[in-house]
Amino acid sequence: MRGTLAVYHKELATYFRSPIAYFVVAVFMLGTGYFFTYNVFLTGDASMGETFRNMGILLLLVIPVVSMRLFAAEDTAGTMELLLTLPLTPWQVVLGKYLGAVTMLLFMAAGTLIDLVPLYLFGNPETTTILAGYIGFVLLGMACLAVGQLFSALTHNQVIAALITVSVLMGFWFVGYLQSFQTSLALRGLLGYLSFALHFGDFIQGLVRSEAVAFYLIVCAIALTLNAGYLQWRR
Amino acid sequence: MITLEAVSKRYGSKTVIHDLSFTVEKGEIVGFLGPNGAGKTTTMRMIAGFTTPTSGRVTVAGYDMATQNSDAARQIGYAPERPPLYDSLDVAAYLRFVAKVKGVPRSAVHAELERVAAACRLEAVFRREIYKLSKGYRQRLGLAQALLGKPDVLLLDEPTAGLDPGQIQETREVIRSFGEGHAVLLSTHILPEVTMICRRVAIINHGRLVAIDSPGGLQRAVEQTNRVSLRVTAPAPALREELLSVEGVSAVAIDPASGDGSVLTVECQVEARDGVEAAIARAVAGRWDLHRLERKQPTLENVFLHYVREAPAGDEAA
Repeated sequence: MRGTLAVYHKELATYFRSPIAYFVVAVFMLGTGYFFTYNVFLTGDASMGETFRNMGILLLLVIPVVSMRLFAAEDTAGTMELLLTLPLTPWQVVLGKYLGAVTMLLFMAAGTLIDLVPLYLFGNPETTTILAGYIGFVLLGMACLAVGQLFSALTHNQVIAALITVSVLMGFWFVGYLQSFQTSLALRGLLGYLSFALHFGDFIQGLVRSEAVAFYLIVCAIALTLNAGYLQWRR
Repeated sequence: MITLEAVSKRYGSKTVIHDLSFTVEKGEIVGFLGPNGAGKTTTMRMIAGFTTPTSGRVTVAGYDMATQNSDAARQIGYAPERPPLYDSLDVAAYLRFVAKVKGVPRSAVHAELERVAAACRLEAVFRREIYKLSKGYRQRLGLAQALLGKPDVLLLDEPTAGLDPGQIQETREVIRSFGEGHAVLLSTHILPEVTMICRRVAIINHGRLVAIDSPGGLQRAVEQTNRVSLRVTAPAPALREELLSVEGVSAVAIDPASGDGSVLTVECQVEARDGVEAAIARAVAGRWDLHRLERKQPTLENVFLHYVREAPAGDEAA
């Protein structure tokens, strides 16, 4: 536990002593602010529904920027040699780094809360629906981070890590749209189950389904297990 | 403290370490020498637990690195060749991170940080971001993190590279003082460093251990195959003939600058056994004036080159 916490604190210090954290949060707030303004003021729809959908897509582009450095930067800086020779298990390294990245995600989510101010001032939004949307957003972000962290461990090059992560996340996002082309029920079911977008859609509508929560958590668990396994194998 | 038993490492079909066995006892500093690409860093990494051997066994402080990696890691301070530093952290935050991971008790972290910072002369940059540090400070910070938590075993991969002469001196003192009561394996290119602080020297070439002994022992071993030089007043052809007739002399080189009838400077290649000098002395002194006769003392550089050149060329090592 102490090792995980030490890695976690080191990660947070790395984020906040460099421009990464501020830049990522600022870009995400700016993007969300733009979509929010567009959705609420131009279409007259006083809800977060459409904005959440846009935040999901924005997340697919911002997460790889956060996750690409997680392991690839350690390789470039030669600090991987330190991490793997200190008394740390692969799981402690993986979890410490992951929790640091999830904290960044929470900062990103917190930054968008500012958009709720005009919504509550001038409209009458459903709090539970917004809450469900944020739960979905954080779960989606956690799954994306776990996938991104895995690819960051698999390559020494940050740009390649980011590009692979974007491609894979896009794949998971759009895979649900292939449903309509399938005649086989099983295949339709599978494609729907694998879709990041369809599960996120449930949350946006205010539904916190245990199946959707479990789906995102399973993706996290698989990616993190592969990540820790890969570090062990690397030795 | 450190034991390697028949350790080999292969990358694909390429074997970079062949059947390496040696030990480093508590309280001794062992110098680890070898040309670039001999396999020093790979060996260090296997002892530190960064990579595992393909075959053989590495034990550190009684722990098998293959199965008790985490327990062993607590006893190891490892300073890789390239200091493993986080540029965005400051020196104190970096050292605090390593101290916490090494299990230094919370209440003792501050004192421990001050101890290593003082030992490695880092006080002046304690609050500075690492990316602003000069190469010398980076190198010393790499050493400081290895000293944290007072590990039983210290693995130092070229710790004085990039330091100025004053810093080299100070770093040697740190290593020397640490060597008392601990096991230190020190890889270096600076040969006088080895003679100054190491009790024993291991020489590795093409991934094979070619020699391990005290610096003096290695010099004596090489001495047996070395040269005898003499200054004699004699006619060159007769002297050459006489010297070659002595048992144990394989070649004679007369300095062409010295002329007939005057004092000649001669170097003889001799066999690796005692008594050859005496035989030469008897043969020469009986007929001519012998002014000087000595067996050439090899420097550690010569010893190193001797072993590195003699070793059979195997696969290229990393």
